[in-house]
Amino acid sequence: MSSMLGKRAVSSFISLMVLIVLVFFLSRLTGDPAALYLPVDASEEMRQNFREIHGLNDPVLVQFGHYLADLVRFDFGDSLRKARPALEVVLEAFTWTLELALITMALVTAAAIALGSLAAFNIGSPLDRIASLLSLIGASAPDFWIAIVGIVLFSVSLGWLPTSGTGSVWHWILPISVLFIRPFGLILQVVRGSMITALGSAYVKTARAKGVKNRPIIFVHTLRNAMLPVITVIGDQAAALLNGAVVVETIFGFPGVGKLMIDSILQRDFNVILAAIMVTALAIFVMNLLIDIAYALLDPRIRT
Amino acid sequence: MLWADKFAFAAALFLMLMLLFAIFGPALLDGVASKQNLRARNAAPFTVERGFLYLLGGDALGRPLLARIIVAAQNTLTIAAGAVAASMVIGSTLGLIAGYAGKTTGEVIMRLADVIMSFPSLLLAVIVLYMLEPSIGNLVLVLAITRIPIYLRTTRAEVLEVRERMFVQAAQVMGASTSRIIFRHILPVILPTLLTIATLDFAFVMLAESALSFLGIGIQPPEVTWGLMVSQGRQYLTNAWWLAFWPGLMIILTTMSLNLLSGWMRVALNPTQRWRLELGGKRNG
Amino acid sequence: MKYITALAGLLLASTAMSPAFAQDNHDVTVVLAEEADVIEPCMATRSNIGRIVLQNISETLTELDVRGDKGLMPRLAESWEMAGDNTWRFHLREGVKFSDGSDFDAEDVKHSFERAGSDQITCEISRYYEGIDITPKVVDAHTIDFTTEPAQPILPLLLSLLTIVPSETPLEFTRNPIGTGPYMLAEWNPGQDIKLARRDDYWGEAPAVTGATYLFRTDAAVRAAMVQTGEADIAPSISATDATDPEMDFSYPNSETTYLRIDQNVAPLGDKRVREALNLALDREAFIGTILAEGTQIATAINVPTTLGWNPDVTAWPYDPDKARALLAEAKADGVPVETTISLIGRTGNFPGATEVFEAIQGMLTDVGFNIDLQMVEVAEHEQYYSKPYVEDRPILVGAQHDNSRGDPVFSMYFKYHSEGRQSGINDPKVDELIETATAATGEERSALWSELFAYLHDDVVADVLLFHMVGHARVGGRVDFTPTIATNSSLQLSEIGFK
Repeated sequence: MSSMLGKRAVSSFISLMVLIVLVFFLSRLTGDPAALYLPVDASEEMRQNFREIHGLNDPVLVQFGHYLADLVRFDFGDSLRKARPALEVVLEAFTWTLELALITMALVTAAAIALGSLAAFNIGSPLDRIASLLSLIGASAPDFWIAIVGIVLFSVSLGWLPTSGTGSVWHWILPISVLFIRPFGLILQVVRGSMITALGSAYVKTARAKGVKNRPIIFVHTLRNAMLPVITVIGDQAAALLNGAVVVETIFGFPGVGKLMIDSILQRDFNVILAAIMVTALAIFVMNLLIDIAYALLDPRIRT
Repeated sequence: MLWADKFAFAAALFLMLMLLFAIFGPALLDGVASKQNLRARNAAPFTVERGFLYLLGGDALGRPLLARIIVAAQNTLTIAAGAVAASMVIGSTLGLIAGYAGKTTGEVIMRLADVIMSFPSLLLAVIVLYMLEPSIGNLVLVLAITRIPIYLRTTRAEVLEVRERMFVQAAQVMGASTSRIIFRHILPVILPTLLTIATLDFAFVMLAESALSFLGIGIQPPEVTWGLMVSQGRQYLTNAWWLAFWPGLMIILTTMSLNLLSGWMRVALNPTQRWRLELGGKRNG
Repeated sequence: MKYITALAGLLLASTAMSPAFAQDNHDVTVVLAEEADVIEPCMATRSNIGRIVLQNISETLTELDVRGDKGLMPRLAESWEMAGDNTWRFHLREGVKFSDGSDFDAEDVKHSFERAGSDQITCEISRYYEGIDITPKVVDAHTIDFTTEPAQPILPLLLSLLTIVPSETPLEFTRNPIGTGPYMLAEWNPGQDIKLARRDDYWGEAPAVTGATYLFRTDAAVRAAMVQTGEADIAPSISATDATDPEMDFSYPNSETTYLRIDQNVAPLGDKRVREALNLALDREAFIGTILAEGTQIATAINVPTTLGWNPDVTAWPYDPDKARALLAEAKADGVPVETTISLIGRTGNFPGATEVFEAIQGMLTDVGFNIDLQMVEVAEHEQYYSKPYVEDRPILVGAQHDNSRGDPVFSMYFKYHSEGRQSGINDPKVDELIETATAATGEERSALWSELFAYLHDDVVADVLLFHMVGHARVGGRVDFTPTIATNSSLQLSEIGFK
């Protein structure tokens, strides 16, 4: 295991470097931040001065050299817009995103596996039909619909929950509910599908033939076999959440990394883009590593 | 046999209808669908006073929603099918290679997937926009690239497991060629999962596409897609719900139909599961 | 496990949800669309920063009266006069203290001015002093002279934009703004809220509001809902479609003017008949009360009617598609390539309903025979089309919005119409001359020159396709008393808020 971790750390580091190089150079092809930062009627002199202050006049390679040199000292540069360290800005936002992603994925995983297995064991039953139907509708409905309707219903009409913001635990209920829906639908479908396949597979049939009547044993056996694609999809959905939940952040005023990233991209705030990508990439790499470890634990024959 | 499953049958019918809309809609209704009429602005649905095409109401410029939905089917389905098919084919091919080929190749492909997963799709879209001309093809490209990792990782995970199974090992021992093992033994096992993900990705792509159109990439008004209609209707959600509701409903129904149909196919094409259909058929008949 | 405990802790810590505030509480909550990324006084001309900082934390020497017709009013300066041809003398208020306890004097004014113009930081307000050589000179502790080259008749108006900071303020963006205003920064949680608290040692009358919390929500429907549920007291900008409650919702002219900028260098737009046809093809009336809110005005100038020299004699273009077609045919007969595809560039989200407005414009122009290709773009790309050097590989109409609530056309004219202006599509010696003389003129003469320019641009040059003076909508909760003004877009003075 430890040699695997070591190799993984090296290869992940290389991918991170590839990512930084890609983002650094490609994002600089997408326009001049001075034009966006300054008002439209600012003079060329002001623009020139702005570029000078922020080192945007140097050749791109020189800029990259400076960036790397600072990075070695763990200095991610300052945000153009916010005039403070980019890493500080990103970490503030990422803490919110991480909490939101962890809570949501924990709930989704538990609910989707429970309901998905029940549906698979009782295929064609009313429970199966209803669970499938609701999860499909949820997974394909536009998320801002659900969010706005949720606010109108639970905050404005009923007055049960605050519309938006971050103050108390009540503030978390609507955003998490909205975030819950799509991954829940997708994972439930995958659980149900691969459980059905596993139930028809040789091992379970053998177990049944051997006379194992105990449903829990059959359940655990099947689940184990059905878990690989499920874990992969859970990982993918978690990665999407770690990249930020833009709609939820925009509507509920949740200060996460998704909206920060979008704003920074639209404003060409390069240092924040890079810092945000590095932080989220690190989280995603760690998560993918955990998934691969989970594969190995679930099925010892697999050597990744 | 399709008749046996009433839901799957309805789904197939619905998809056929959408296909007809996509093929013939723009040719038949383009003029009507883009004719602005501010007097019919946000006209309420369920009345035929203004004609059958206003049955679902009018949009913010008074264009009939029904006609627009029909015309939009073409762009919507082209983009969604293109992006989903491309990401599924590329993703699962890479996944097969990563799972089946040597360790180094596999590792390189997996880290590539990590890079794509961490690359924000909006940034990708902005970059593509600045370097290439905006077009449907580039829109499909952006959407496809961002969806590759999920197919790649899922395929690889399944390959790793399946190739250890008895029948694959047996085939290998008996000297079956690699391509035969992949296409005859491995692909059939992983295909159902991939299809489940693909059907739900259809909805995701249809909605994500509209988010990119505000950058000026891909679909521009007066061209129209369901996703664009949904996002344009957003600001009227509280007082003219039908603007965003109908196109949203079309996205949901299309996704559900695809999902039901792929579920039916999974059962129908799998000999060990086919009894379920026959049983259901008897019960219903 | 750690998370479960954290969650439980959160549950216990959170008090019962109480959206309604106690009635004797005189704090207000304001919900804004865009977060202030810095709270730097020298950036106060940017609306997201100005609404928090301007006249609340930082004050200016002079202040434009937007509620009445008093014109320019004293604030930190008690009076001012010309002291020589090119020199303005300002007499400063005495006994004013900054929130850090230091005294306000002429050195602070000098430092504030120099800091704003320094090349070591990028302060936005300095752009208003571009092209004028201004030298501040301290006469005594409470008198300061500004000498300008050339003469600057509206310098007192320009100084209504200069926020005053203490002379110790460093030449970098501050995170702790110090000002002379009635409020000071109490708390700043980036991404969540900004809180201001009332100062006890303010020089003027103590305002009714004791403290303010600013929240930021991008979605207009959510902002409207927050005032409705009592989570906020004022939402200065909500969308017209949500403004349905006459008890709470106010519309106000927001000083924005929408127009299509024409680059006359590219055929067929260089032909005046083509530009007239563009104007005649649009049924402007049809937009109002439909896509755009009731109260929107048809524009005959790039500046709103409250601006100096706005010309009431200029009449809006009528809707006359037949005449437009005739003009196009005439131009075509003379060999003008009127069938060339013209790009219409719009900015997504520029104003509520922007996409629909541009789609409708496209429809109307196509109707009279133009060949229009609509492209909605994001802000960075829009900027590439809007400012010089222009994209000139095809004829382009750029849809844009211009905001000038400062009362004088000088803030618009040079940029939009002078042949050297960064967003000007015309090159007309008479326009250049009028702008230059009007900029240097005073009183009646200044007003008359601007009037002449407005008429000349609209009727003779047909410089652009002027569209609308827009309205904004604000929602104000039942507890507070507040009327939005034309300046609400750029500043929101807490001292103007009362309680019922």
